[in-house]
Amino acid sequence: MNPRASLWLKTVYARTWVRTKSIYGEPLWVAVNVGFPFFTSLALSLLYSSAGLKAGIGFAFLGGVMVSFWGNVLWSMASQFNWDKQQGLFELYVTSPAPISAILIGMSLGGILGTAPSAMTLAIIGWLLFAPPATPLWPLVALTFALTLASLYAMGMALSSLYLVYGREADSVNEALHEPVSFLSGVYFPSSLAFPAALQAVVLIIPLAVGMDALQRTLFSLNSTGATDLTPVYRDLLLLAIMGITLLFAASKALKILEEKGRRAGTIAVRQK
Amino acid sequence: MSYLSSIIASIRVGWSRDFGWTNPFLGFSLKTIAPIASTMTAVTVLYIGFRNGTSIASGQFPMLLGFILIGATLYAHISAYSWVPTLAIAEGKWTFVFPQVYVSPKSSPPYLAGRCLAAFASSTVTSVASLAVAIALSSLLFGVAIPLVITPLSISLFGVALVVNILASMGLGFLLGAYAIFASKFEWALPTYVSGLLMVFSEALFPVSLLPHPFSDIGNVLPFTEFIRASRAVLLPLGSVSSYFYYLALSFVGGSTLLAIGLLAFRYAERRARRLGVLDRKVV
Amino acid sequence: MSFRDAKSTVEVEDLRREFKGKEGRVLALDGVDLKVREGEVFGVLGPNGAGKTTMIRILSTLLLPSSGSARVMGWDVAKQPEKVRPLISTASGAERAGYDYITARGNLWFFSQLYGLPSKLAHERINEFSEMLGLTDYLDRKFYTLSTGYRQRVTVVRAFINDPKVVFLDEPTIGLDVMTALKIREFLVKQAKESGRTILLATHNMAEVDAICNRVGIIDKGKILACDTPMALKRSLGAPALVMEMTPAPDSASLEPLGKLEGVKGFTSSIDEERGVGRVQVVVDSDESAQGALDFARKSGMNLISNWRQQTTLEEVFVALVGRGFREREHESPS
Repeated sequence: MNPRASLWLKTVYARTWVRTKSIYGEPLWVAVNVGFPFFTSLALSLLYSSAGLKAGIGFAFLGGVMVSFWGNVLWSMASQFNWDKQQGLFELYVTSPAPISAILIGMSLGGILGTAPSAMTLAIIGWLLFAPPATPLWPLVALTFALTLASLYAMGMALSSLYLVYGREADSVNEALHEPVSFLSGVYFPSSLAFPAALQAVVLIIPLAVGMDALQRTLFSLNSTGATDLTPVYRDLLLLAIMGITLLFAASKALKILEEKGRRAGTIAVRQK
Repeated sequence: MSYLSSIIASIRVGWSRDFGWTNPFLGFSLKTIAPIASTMTAVTVLYIGFRNGTSIASGQFPMLLGFILIGATLYAHISAYSWVPTLAIAEGKWTFVFPQVYVSPKSSPPYLAGRCLAAFASSTVTSVASLAVAIALSSLLFGVAIPLVITPLSISLFGVALVVNILASMGLGFLLGAYAIFASKFEWALPTYVSGLLMVFSEALFPVSLLPHPFSDIGNVLPFTEFIRASRAVLLPLGSVSSYFYYLALSFVGGSTLLAIGLLAFRYAERRARRLGVLDRKVV
Repeated sequence: MSFRDAKSTVEVEDLRREFKGKEGRVLALDGVDLKVREGEVFGVLGPNGAGKTTMIRILSTLLLPSSGSARVMGWDVAKQPEKVRPLISTASGAERAGYDYITARGNLWFFSQLYGLPSKLAHERINEFSEMLGLTDYLDRKFYTLSTGYRQRVTVVRAFINDPKVVFLDEPTIGLDVMTALKIREFLVKQAKESGRTILLATHNMAEVDAICNRVGIIDKGKILACDTPMALKRSLGAPALVMEMTPAPDSASLEPLGKLEGVKGFTSSIDEERGVGRVQVVVDSDESAQGALDFARKSGMNLISNWRQQTTLEEVFVALVGRGFREREHESPS
């Protein structure tokens, strides 16, 4: 195999391994990560129930599942490089021959694999407790889920370059992004039933919003006939594919530019006194 | 140094930490935007339930909207400052501040109380702002007038309820802090679970009577539930001044009890941690 | 071993690096020229803020120079970093870089993969180097459970696992206990001797430089002041230093004229608080100059309680070069 390709693959595998080993090596992580999303989903399910909309329970628990991944993107992807920089790990990445893109892909794969157990646990608990009415189109659900995760994590990669520069405010930015993006993306509710058309159009720039719309449509029926209009789903899938590729490209370019800037300004390593 | 001066010094440290922004406008916005968003999520769920469900009559919707707006905001307010003792301990172990505070003359309770009070102040400011914005946004998005009672009397009584609730929140803070003293990892895990439980049991989004027995009884006993009920009694045309004082009294009694339990638990945890040698054990 | 015939692995020519800070421009490196040869352990000795870390960062491709050139194994570090990186590694004493929930072995394997090492070879090297550093029993412990000393051993193993041709070490034994520091030094010497690796060691620990470095470059305020073997540098002073103890300790104003005496190259002063005694160490070029310094102290009314001649150390070489000791220099340095 081509040595560059071999190095790229080894790096992806190694970084994926580190991330998943950290999580699976501490089984408590699953229980910890399930907690808050579960109670949020439970509270909103009870709210839907009290309003006489049992179908809403599905939205609440789907939201909990996706919020797990969204949280992972913000806290473990976007701010990871800043954290690595504080620990002195980022400069080791820069001074090694390993491509940064491979490290990012490894982090993403590791993040997805690491979050999956808690997300699945939440979905199973929701199903067992409430058995929300669902009309899944499984092949489309699988494709939508995969594309949503791909573009979400691509967004995480793009954000990681931003955080490298504005690292100090990373925690505050994460806190500021987490809930507003969840709300605008309609994580716990179908935004097509709540937002005016203009707002619905605007939020389509958020990968999570597009993904949620598609997932909600492919899992639950949003109209009284029970049938699902697939046109918006195909639109969403196309948007997700475009976003994912664009964000991947943007992330790769941004990190190259920032590495060069960092080498020029001397900001890659934390200055040691 | 007296207990009071320790507390005041800790309030100043906590305030600088929470409100020491280089760009005050940006800092304030960043702190306010999350509670606004989480409140808006809850009211939007209600709206969808109202539009597509079967249980809410048109006339009920504005009142229910007000119910949730106040509950969600106050829940976020409680969560924001009741876990500050945990944060202060975990952070303090990482930076070695906590062991230094522990061995100081008045030790850690005044420090944690001060940090909690500083967070109460900052959370109150951001919560009031986020409630105002959420009300405006909801009125705009859903086209309803929310029936709030905003008079000098209602605001003053609301302010009193906020202050009385400090007892319960601080008590919870010390209880969580007792756990944080021993935790070398996942120190934030228990506070997030407790925060989640509060969302369900403190009547933040729905009456606890909706929960099956005996879970509804748990909700009725919590001082946080009484605080939120007292606040709604004066801010919404739901209850009366007498019902407000009834809930306030329950909040006071429950809060005092929780504070006493929290302080005892924390003191016990400190002694035990000292025996085990974990007070200055670094967190991962 | 003579390094004169060995090829150069690190070549630095008129290297400059400027930083823009809040207080204005800081010249961290001011025209450094250096050649390090294959298999050499080369010490870069200087106080804090001298430019050691800046030079290491440039050579390890973390930082671009403002001007001048630097080549590692013939490749330009500024223009060809991708050619340099597979051949080098870097480790810092201030670094505790590792993933906390992964074992030491897991961390080392991970870093080996960033250099494309086959896993089997990686594990062989991990075992081999860990054995040399007394780390074997700790390899399967999670990183966060290791003490400072063992984390640093992991850091050192990590620096050699990819079989680098050149290793840049920035204060690798700082803050470590004596035994751990000794083990690491022994390991470094072995690596240089047996594997022909070039090791560039930035430090302000003179004993370390004396013990393991083939050559030393003394750096201060971004300039290389002298470059030779430790023995040759010490011999260059000509005469052993004069040490005087007096009580009460003299103030710096009364010591000023000492530096201007003929044959005095510089001096350092310190106070032994417990004994209430001041100590002045004077670097001289001859026995006559030493006598002159002694006479000055007596004539100035200083109460001399003892004096003796001391074997030259690298600190005295530094004092001779800049007129002040390491500690005094650290007070002056901008950082």
